[in-house]
Amino acid sequence: MSIFAYIGRRLLLILPQIVGIVLVSFMLVKTIPGDPAVLMLGPTANPESLAALRKEMGLNESIPMQFWIYLKNLSKGDLGTSWQTTRPVLEDLLTRFPATLELVSFGLLTAILIGLPLGLVSAFRPRSWLARVADFYSLATGSLPDFWLALVLIYVFYTLLGVAPAPLGRLDMAILPPTQITGFYTLDSLFAGDWEAFKASVSHLVLPVLALGLINAGPIFKMTQSTVERMLQSDFSRYEMLCGMPHGLVLRHALRNSLPSILTIISVLYGFLIGGAVLIEIVFSWGGAGQYAVQGVLNSDLYPVLGFVLFSAIFSLFVYLIVDLIYFAIDPRLSH
Amino acid sequence: MNAIVSSEMLVPAQSVAPALSVRDLRVEFPTAMGAPTVAIKNLSFDIEPGTILGLVGESGAGKTTLARSILNLPPMPGRITNGEVWFEGTDLRRLPEEEQRERRGRDLSIVVPNPRGELNPLITVGDQIATRAQVHLRIDKKAAQARALEMLQKVQIPDPKRRMNAYAHELSGGMAQRVVIAMSLVCSPRFVISDDATSGLDVTVQAQILKLMRDLAFEQQSAMLFITRDVGITAHFCDRVAVMYSGEIMEIASREDLFLDPQHPYTVMLMAAFSHNAKLRSQWRAPDESRENATPSVGCSYASRCPKAQSICHVEHPELLERRPGHVVRCHFPVERT
Amino acid sequence: MSSRTESKANGLSPHGAKSYVDLIWRVAKARPRFVVGYVIVIAVIGAGLFAPFIAPYSPISADPSRVLQPPSLSFPLGTDAVGMDIFSRTLYAPRVDLTIAIAATLISATIGSLLGALVGYYGGGQGIRSWLGAAVMRVADVVQAFPVFVLAIALVASLGQSLGTVIAAIAFVNIPIYLRLMRSQVLSIRGARFVEAAQVGGLSDWSIIIRHVIPNAMSSVLAQLSVNIGWAVLLTAGLSFVGAGVRAPTPEWGSMIAMGFQDLVTGYWWPSLCPGLALSITVFGFALVGASVEVLADPVKRRALVSELAPRASRGPVVKSELSA
Repeated sequence: MSIFAYIGRRLLLILPQIVGIVLVSFMLVKTIPGDPAVLMLGPTANPESLAALRKEMGLNESIPMQFWIYLKNLSKGDLGTSWQTTRPVLEDLLTRFPATLELVSFGLLTAILIGLPLGLVSAFRPRSWLARVADFYSLATGSLPDFWLALVLIYVFYTLLGVAPAPLGRLDMAILPPTQITGFYTLDSLFAGDWEAFKASVSHLVLPVLALGLINAGPIFKMTQSTVERMLQSDFSRYEMLCGMPHGLVLRHALRNSLPSILTIISVLYGFLIGGAVLIEIVFSWGGAGQYAVQGVLNSDLYPVLGFVLFSAIFSLFVYLIVDLIYFAIDPRLSH
Repeated sequence: MNAIVSSEMLVPAQSVAPALSVRDLRVEFPTAMGAPTVAIKNLSFDIEPGTILGLVGESGAGKTTLARSILNLPPMPGRITNGEVWFEGTDLRRLPEEEQRERRGRDLSIVVPNPRGELNPLITVGDQIATRAQVHLRIDKKAAQARALEMLQKVQIPDPKRRMNAYAHELSGGMAQRVVIAMSLVCSPRFVISDDATSGLDVTVQAQILKLMRDLAFEQQSAMLFITRDVGITAHFCDRVAVMYSGEIMEIASREDLFLDPQHPYTVMLMAAFSHNAKLRSQWRAPDESRENATPSVGCSYASRCPKAQSICHVEHPELLERRPGHVVRCHFPVERT
Repeated sequence: MSSRTESKANGLSPHGAKSYVDLIWRVAKARPRFVVGYVIVIAVIGAGLFAPFIAPYSPISADPSRVLQPPSLSFPLGTDAVGMDIFSRTLYAPRVDLTIAIAATLISATIGSLLGALVGYYGGGQGIRSWLGAAVMRVADVVQAFPVFVLAIALVASLGQSLGTVIAAIAFVNIPIYLRLMRSQVLSIRGARFVEAAQVGGLSDWSIIIRHVIPNAMSSVLAQLSVNIGWAVLLTAGLSFVGAGVRAPTPEWGSMIAMGFQDLVTGYWWPSLCPGLALSITVFGFALVGASVEVLADPVKRRALVSELAPRASRGPVVKSELSA
């Protein structure tokens, strides 16, 4: 089938998937104890205003009805309001989600830059010392708690060496964020020509990105190494060797055949890290979407949680779609 | 007169040097405990240029191990622990790896039995053939593509131009086999190994492929080692036939001699299995399937299955002896023609 | 490869106890990391079990006069911000962390594998069972689309914070892993001949699943278990770090790290870094054990390991060995 038909079909499927996810999270979130009206107005509010607010928020309706109301609001772009920030959730997320995205994107990039070459080297020279070190590295970093590694980095580079900025958010206190185009401070400051903001945003990114990158390089390394190694042992690789093909060619072909698996792990990691970078966000007071959601859960502030789940689900599904499209481009067997 | 034959005299003296000469080849597979399993034990044979030597053996005899060991790439985790492979006067095993690689595919090539599994799934078959030509013949891409097309035409693939852009999974078994043959012959190698290349194909396709290979080999005057499980095929196809069992050669003879005067009990059993003579078949039926027993380390490796085995067979390992001119047998009690 | 050499080169078939011990010794020499893993795991379990006998102080007794003291002879890992001995607390922590992690992993493995086996076995056909199987997979998709951490916290929040609910939450987020693993194993085994033979032989579906399918799929599940335990410990620590897991003053590595967080930035490293190190080493040990199970339970990898154990004969040139140093 043509590529457009495929994309169209996938997009259509995304919709029910998202509704399913929102439904499940809605049900889950509704079981969290805590009366939203009381939380919003405070413990000293009088009963009439509480009752009025409850009516307005639809809290007296049945759960399915509440869900329906939520969906209706959703279609209008209203994701509810957070009682902690007193602002619409959509607005909160539009500033926070890019923060998480920036952090996670650079973190993943770092992880790829570390993990991919290590994996390739290990697959090509499985008995070398580098392969052994890489193996140990991936096992070791996979055992580290990300929040703890972040603390170690802070201690070494900020407390001891003083080369890193204080872990208090994305920019220094004195610097204003650049005008928002993408939400990425690094990119936006470049667009605005704001050199100070650029330097500040980069320096604040270093430690959390390093923490994310070091730990998540492990899975990428493992997948690369095991897939490329498997390709080199496959029938067609050995046949190419029997035919006297030069090593470079055999290795290149093995790598190309490994791309789908490597892309898969990267895409899975990307989706995972959106919610999985939460602890790093908390340690560095990043102001990201994950942190927002966790604070929501801990404080019975439900709409931020729902909004975050929605955002991250949509993001993941799109990442998977793009990866599948790349598969199409690489593997001729799939278009049949 | 039986004479113990040294390895150089396996084949009666000829004025032409053999294209391929295998001497005392030994291939072992390590095991967790104890001694390694010996897949190929001191194998030796010669093949003259322009001739086809058939190699017959059942599954497990070590045929694929042999095929790949000749190219010095035994299947993992096997290792060649002894022996020489002389090709046109050079011992392949002693060459530096880079030179070995050059010869593989260009001077010696192999046709494999599961083509769709062994072709690269992500690259068109035309590109794979062309790359082979490009790498070994050092011609440019355009010339290589032209040559690939030429080869596809030679192997009589229908609609060769379109097939150049096909992928392995799009081809039927017979077509994929033709592609592999084209690939193996594109550099006009002087020696071709066909490892069970026609098994799994329909009988009619099989016949076509066999004829094709024979014609192409003749045209290029290559020597061929034709490995198969089916002794019957060799009758139409090979000049000489060797019979292999459990990693050893049991008998080598010219085609006529082997079929008219088989001497090793195993050979006779192979022939008898197809015979119309019921008495012959029952006479030569193998004893019950206890062949999963470990290969005995002393005596003849066929002794446990041999209907003619006697006590000496379990004790003393028979040597390869020339019973008649050009006909060698490894047996204490070769079958005499009745 | 001939079938005979196949069977020989494949197994670790021990001929007698002595050669078995010898084999283990050779494997241990070839892969010292496996030994390290088992040693760590045994040490940590031992620490948790024997903590009352080993730890110099009670894990919850706070001495305000000894606040934030650096590591010394009397306090090997120092004291924290309320005066509790970090070393003792670190020794007691496995009681909580490992209990939660092992319990949660076993629960999720059992439920997930069973479900996965059922879904895999009945899937793809007609009838209500196959439809149910598809529904289960869709639910698993949804659960896995959730940000894991947020889901775990939400579960704990909704069920009320206690040891049991933390276990339940961690078990729940892990079920899809075993579900998918088992299902894919079962799908590939289902088509195998011996299953067909059993069906023809008249065995009931249930006994086929129990007697044939599950044992064959076990190896990958087993390999996953140990690694999963390590990951569950990390998740427990993470939950406690944000306050949604084990509550202070119960000794638990994550909550200990949280307690030391603010002080670390001002230079008191030991309250946070020491428990974190213990945590990392523990997870590392479980990861190594998992790696050993992965190699020993998988025939292909086992064979590769075995071929390394063999004495160094000349190796046939393969791409790998040519390029290796």
